[in-house]
Formats: sequence, C-alpha cells, structure tokens
Amino acid sequence: MISAQGITRSIFFTYLRTMALVVVIWWAASAWLARPYLLPAPERVAAAALKLLTTGKVTAAVAVSGQRLLLSYLLAAGIGIPLGVGMGLSRWVADVFDWLVEMIRPISGIAWIPVLLVVFGISNALPMAIIFYAAVFPFVLNSASGVRHVDPRLTSAAKVLGAKRWRILLTVILPGAVPDIMTGARVAASNSWMALIVAELIGAPNGLGFSVGYAQELGNATLVLAWIVYIGVCGYVLDTTLHWLQGRLTPWRVGLKVGE
Amino acid sequence: MEPGTAVRRTIAIKPLDLAGARVVVRAALPLFLLVLWYVLSLGWPRSPRFATPVGVLQAFIELWAKGSLQTGALVSIERILTAFVLATVLGGSVGLLMGYWSALDGWLGPLVHTLRSIAPYAWIPLVILWLGIGDAAVISIVAYAAFFPMTVNAITGARNIDRNLIDVARVLGASRLTLFGRVFFPAALPSLLVGARLAMGSAWIAVVAAELASGSRATQSASGGLGQMMYIFYAYSINLNYIVACIITVGVLALLSDRLLGALYRRLTPWARGT
Repeated sequence: MISAQGITRSIFFTYLRTMALVVVIWWAASAWLARPYLLPAPERVAAAALKLLTTGKVTAAVAVSGQRLLLSYLLAAGIGIPLGVGMGLSRWVADVFDWLVEMIRPISGIAWIPVLLVVFGISNALPMAIIFYAAVFPFVLNSASGVRHVDPRLTSAAKVLGAKRWRILLTVILPGAVPDIMTGARVAASNSWMALIVAELIGAPNGLGFSVGYAQELGNATLVLAWIVYIGVCGYVLDTTLHWLQGRLTPWRVGLKVGE
Repeated sequence: MEPGTAVRRTIAIKPLDLAGARVVVRAALPLFLLVLWYVLSLGWPRSPRFATPVGVLQAFIELWAKGSLQTGALVSIERILTAFVLATVLGGSVGLLMGYWSALDGWLGPLVHTLRSIAPYAWIPLVILWLGIGDAAVISIVAYAAFFPMTVNAITGARNIDRNLIDVARVLGASRLTLFGRVFFPAALPSLLVGARLAMGSAWIAVVAAELASGSRATQSASGGLGQMMYIFYAYSINLNYIVACIITVGVLALLSDRLLGALYRRLTPWARGT
C-alpha cells in the first residue's frame, strides 16, 4: 500500500516533470524562432506576469470576472435546480418545459452574444446574461435526472413510515439527487467559465477576457501569454474547488468517474 | 397518502396518457411564447433593432434568396469538418495511447489537464497574433476546443477495456495488428464515439466564438462564416432580425450534426446502449 501523502507527492512530481519539459521546449522554440513579438521566451512571460500581479491588475481583473461568474452562476443554480427538481417530480411540469428547453438548448450561450450586443451594448450585463444562459441548462437537466434516479423503494419506504410529502422531498429525494446535481454544477461551471472568457473578449469593458483581448490589440504577445497563464490558473482553481465540493457533499461517490 | 387522492389523480392523469394530449401540453409553452412575442412586437417601433417573428422569417428568406446564408454556413461547416477530423484523429490516437500505455499518461496527463483548464477561447487573441483572422486561426481554435473531449473519452475507453479480452486474444496467437483491429479498437469504440459527439458539440460552440471574436477584431477584410456574419449584422447594419436568423441556423445545424453522430453511435455500437 502506498500512503495518500506518497500519492500526492508522486502526482506533484509527475506534474512538475511534465511542466519542466514544456518550459524547456517552449524556451528552445522561442530561441530557435527568434521572433519575440510572436513567441517570447518563458522568462519574459514570467516577468510580465509578475508585473501584472504587483501592479494589482490581475487582482482587479479576477475580482471583476469572479463577481460576474459567481452572481450569474448562483442565479442559474437558484432557478435551474428548482425547475429541474420540479420537472423530475412531476410529468406535468416536465411536459410543459421539455420542448422549450430542447428547442433553445442547441443554441450555445456564445451564439447569443451578437443579440445582446445590440440589446445591451458593451457592458457588464452582457457577460452576466451569457454566463447565466450557459450555466442554467446543465443545472436543469441534471437536477431532473437526479430526481428521477432516486430509488423509488426509498420514497416508498418513507411514505409507508408516514413521512409527509415535504419531508420526503427534503430528506429523501433531494439528498438522493445531489450526486447528479453536483455533476450538473461542474458542467455548468466549465460552460460558464468558457462563456465568460468569450463574452468579455467581445463585449465587456473589463475583466480577464477583456484583458487578454486588449493585450492582443496592443500586439503584445508577452502580455497575451501572461494573461493566458492567469486564465489557466483561475480555471484550474475553479474546477478543483468544485471537485472538492463534490467530494465533500457526496463522499460515497468518490472514486466514481462522474461527468467527464 | 389517502386513498381518495390517489383515485382522483388517476382519473385526472389518464386522458393525458393519450399521445395527442401530451403533445398539446408540450407545445403549449413554446407556442404561447411565440404568440406573446408576436403580440408584443405589434407595439414595437419598426426598427431593425427590434426582432419580430415576421421580421426574422423575412430575414431568413432574404438571406437564403441572396445565398449569403448558405455561403456563410458552408464556410463554417468546412472549418468545423477540418477541425473535427484533426481533433478526433489526433485526440483519439493520443488518448488511446495514453489510456493503454501508462508511462505516456504520466508524461502527457498533466499537460492535457493543464491545457484543459485554460478556456480554449483564451487562446483566440494569441492565435490572431500568430495566424490572423482567416481559416487557419478559426480552425485551430475549433480543433483545440474539440480535442479535449475526444482525448479524455479515448483515455477512458482504453483504460476500461477488459484486460482479459486482450490476454485471451494474445494467448490465442493474435498478431499486434489483429489485436488492435479486432479487440482493442472495437472495445474502445463506444467511448470514442461518445467523445466524437461531444467534440462536435464543442466544435459548433467554438466556431461561433472564434468567428465572432475574429470578426470583432477584423479591420477590413472579412473571413466569412456564420459567426462573422452575425458580428457584421451587429456592427454595420445593427439588424437584430438577421442575427436571430443566423442563430437559428447555427442551432439547427448543431442539432442535426449531434443527431447524426447519435445515430452513428447506435448503428456502430448496438451493444453499448444506455450510456
């Protein structure tokens, strides 16, 4: 048996090993290409990234983007989960919303950007609306399937034991649906994260997506790469947080591959 | 629950079991919203900044008659197909190798997972600096976005193969080529096809994103595609009816390609139902 600490250490080691190789290849490629305005050396990008950090530009952009993401994401959860649970519980509710959801869903949030450019213009509202749209469908669909997948024997047992409808909903059905809802939460987070970057790139006056686009307009590849590094770090932190939350809320599902 | 309520519910629900009644219930909300949109639009000023159901229909007919909708769709579809082939062939083979050969997984795994957490669209600015705003730029963004779902599913597919199958084939004297073609590949095929379907979904989202973004950064020359058409309708003619007509086209094409791959999945792997 290998200890958990040992596994963590070896994962960390393989990660470092690969990243070291990538940096070496990158460094060699930039030296061979000798066009720093296209592919700057890693150390120059690192210096630019450090400067973004010390001047507070990164924290400002992350704060703006994070706020948008969090607000819209929570709104999508607040509307999507109840709607999905309703659709899972009642065939009536499911029938009423089914076609509407299936008709709109194939259109990605990103495709709505030009519409919102006409309606809102370049604004804070645009990325927030796009993020909401990108996040709400995974919440609805996974909550509905989560409720449908609850073992009917459990609800029958609770009924036989005299539990009221509300109590069954709160203590049997909702906890039983949590694994699927968490899968939806992760898909929603990844969708809304991508939507955020594009929406800000095209239609927002600030934030991470705007910053990387602005660096391109300056023609500064070093700055573009530095921002990409930060976008990668944020995306990683986001996914790791939700993965951790998934493990905390549904510890019995750990080890199962969900939603990948 | 009291017996009375149960009886009442059966009576209330029974007529709805008729297929026709269910269709009515399902169609009610979309139809209601469409009618609501139409009624509201009667009071709106006659301006291209307001989309109306009639206006969208007219826009669709107009764009179709001019042929620009077909041209735009064709440009986007060509880019998607090129990127899709690149992503599935590359992602599929890299993924299968990573799933089969754990040493390679050790080296490439961290890279795949790091790149996966960078939103594909964050690369758009860099790709524009490198390749401009034409076909090459859009295709590389779409291929990047489609690569990861394909790779991840190929890894899972190769990892979940029953090792007994491979051992049995080996014992029975199968050559490496037979082993791959007759055992390994068919066993991984369901996962590969799931990955391809997800990749196609990502590709449709990515093509719009890349064309929109490159459109918003184009100084004069247009590189085409439905995404860029939408951007031009925003930036130059500010016509919401045209934009909505394009969006519906993208949605329908995305849905069709998804159904096509779904049918392919059921056709090629009839044994892997229910995933």
